Amino acid sequence: MNQNSIVVANLSKTFSFPVKSVSDGWLKNLFSPEIHKIVAVDNISFSVSAGERIAFIGPNGAGKSTTIKMLTGILFPTSGSISVLGLDPTKDRKKLAYHIGTVFGQRSQLLPNLPLTDSLEFFGVMYGMSDKEIQDRVAELVVLFDIASFINQPVRKLSLGQRMRAEVAAALIHRPEIIFLDEPTIGLDVVAKKTLRDLLIMINKEEKVTIFLTSHDVGDIESLCERTIIVNHGTILKDLPTQELTKTFAYEKYIDLISKTSFKHFPKLPNGATYSARGKNKITVAVDIKILTVQESLRKLLDLFDVEDVEVYGTELETVIRHMYERAPTSKKNS
Amino acid sequence: MKELRLAKKILKTLIKDRIQYPGRLFADTFGIIARCGILLVLYAYVFKINNGVINGTTFDIAAWSMFFYFSFSTLGLRGISRSMMQDINSGHIEVLLSKPITYLLYRSWWQIGMGLYSFIVISIFSTLVLAAIVGMPQTMTVGLFLPTFFLAFIGAILLSLCIYAIVGLLAFWIEDVAPVFWIIDKAVMILGGSYLPVALFPDLMYKITLYSPFGASLFITHTVYESWATVWHKLIGIQVFWVLVLGVVVYMMFRQAVKRVSVNGG
Repeated sequence: MNQNSIVVANLSKTFSFPVKSVSDGWLKNLFSPEIHKIVAVDNISFSVSAGERIAFIGPNGAGKSTTIKMLTGILFPTSGSISVLGLDPTKDRKKLAYHIGTVFGQRSQLLPNLPLTDSLEFFGVMYGMSDKEIQDRVAELVVLFDIASFINQPVRKLSLGQRMRAEVAAALIHRPEIIFLDEPTIGLDVVAKKTLRDLLIMINKEEKVTIFLTSHDVGDIESLCERTIIVNHGTILKDLPTQELTKTFAYEKYIDLISKTSFKHFPKLPNGATYSARGKNKITVAVDIKILTVQESLRKLLDLFDVEDVEVYGTELETVIRHMYERAPTSKKNS
Repeated sequence: MKELRLAKKILKTLIKDRIQYPGRLFADTFGIIARCGILLVLYAYVFKINNGVINGTTFDIAAWSMFFYFSFSTLGLRGISRSMMQDINSGHIEVLLSKPITYLLYRSWWQIGMGLYSFIVISIFSTLVLAAIVGMPQTMTVGLFLPTFFLAFIGAILLSLCIYAIVGLLAFWIEDVAPVFWIIDKAVMILGGSYLPVALFPDLMYKITLYSPFGASLFITHTVYESWATVWHKLIGIQVFWVLVLGVVVYMMFRQAVKRVSVNGG
């Protein structure tokens, strides 16, 4: 786990595109249009060790997919440097492709009309594997991903869950050292998500594949990744072990109060406590334990309300991430 | 070697794909019968009312020349423009750029593979039918015909791919390449001799055909004429020239284009 697989230094990407101005004539719009610039990634630096499982998360438009595409050599950075397995993706895209696998959740790389086995063989040839190597690897992947039941079906007839398993299997045909997954669980049901997450953990452990994943799904991050990088407006907000993410907002506790009959009045709460949700049957109170201890807040709340049941819990990861997004400074980079 | 093995795999995979879906073959067969067949019937009548000879050309020669155009068109190489435009506009290009392939070569082999099955089946079948109906002109029986036809055919493939790849790559700069495609495609169709056999072209148009890449991309339609025996080396030379020039243009465009890739997401 010591050797760096990925090293990114001061990476930036700006997209420029012409914008037609209504006030300008067509000639000006054609030859000298106004250029609009969007800074998608703004001077980020990080490194990833070999064998790590890392989540790269952020709201829509945060710059996560742009980053993943620069790491795989698809997009060219505006400035900064990238080293993936010691190679520069901009200059060595093809060479690097032999050592990495990619899965884009919203795009398929498989041959839709032919059985899955054809796609796997096709990619084997694409990666320069011998027929024997392809045969052996396909046999391995069939067991590992439990795809025997549908390997002979045309890809377009597979369910989304089966297809995603097949996509990941195809991305691993050449035994890559890193696999980049861009929203791999998008659209999957809970069972398919769990299956895919379990498979990714397995290939990380058994084949020592570094996993670099972008996702909006908190479950992916919690159950799959040991480290999380949160980005917004193209900059890194946090880079920390996933377990520590929840600790970031550990001072915030929630107390659910279940009414004995019905809550009718919502009196002013003591300092340090605020209403998070108000209903006839249930009230949720957020407590800042730096100001008010849980014990003290419970005592005061029980004085204020007639309750049947009480539940105290910490901040969920999703809430933590939402807080982080909300607290991030707004973008000043688009011109 | 790796590129060749991949090319072979692409062709095999796509032929397998096409065999599984014979509907496309029927559509292509119907297309060639409808377009080429109707034109040949019309020209048969026009030649008949002109005593069988127009501008020194007989109907059988004109028929084979036009047939070569339509047969070649079943390869569907012009489709590379649309494939590239779809890759670029849909963002699918990111999947291909993340693979250890040369995008332009991959797309070219893919395009050839898409039409190869229809081309082989239709060409063999149609050649037999045409030979039975109008006969084989003497110019197609000389020893020079097959090897030079093969050269012109390879040149036609390369040049067509270059021309239509340029149109496809334009999608990096302009959103919709359909109008450009339409203009280029019609230039190729007309100068290639699809509507009017090239032997019947007026002088100026014939010169444009000879020296423009659009006409040069279909020199296979010239191979059946008597003049081919004396001008084939010149025409193949023109093809080679355009393949080299447009090949460089495609390469330079692609080098600039990959820097402009922008794919939704994030």
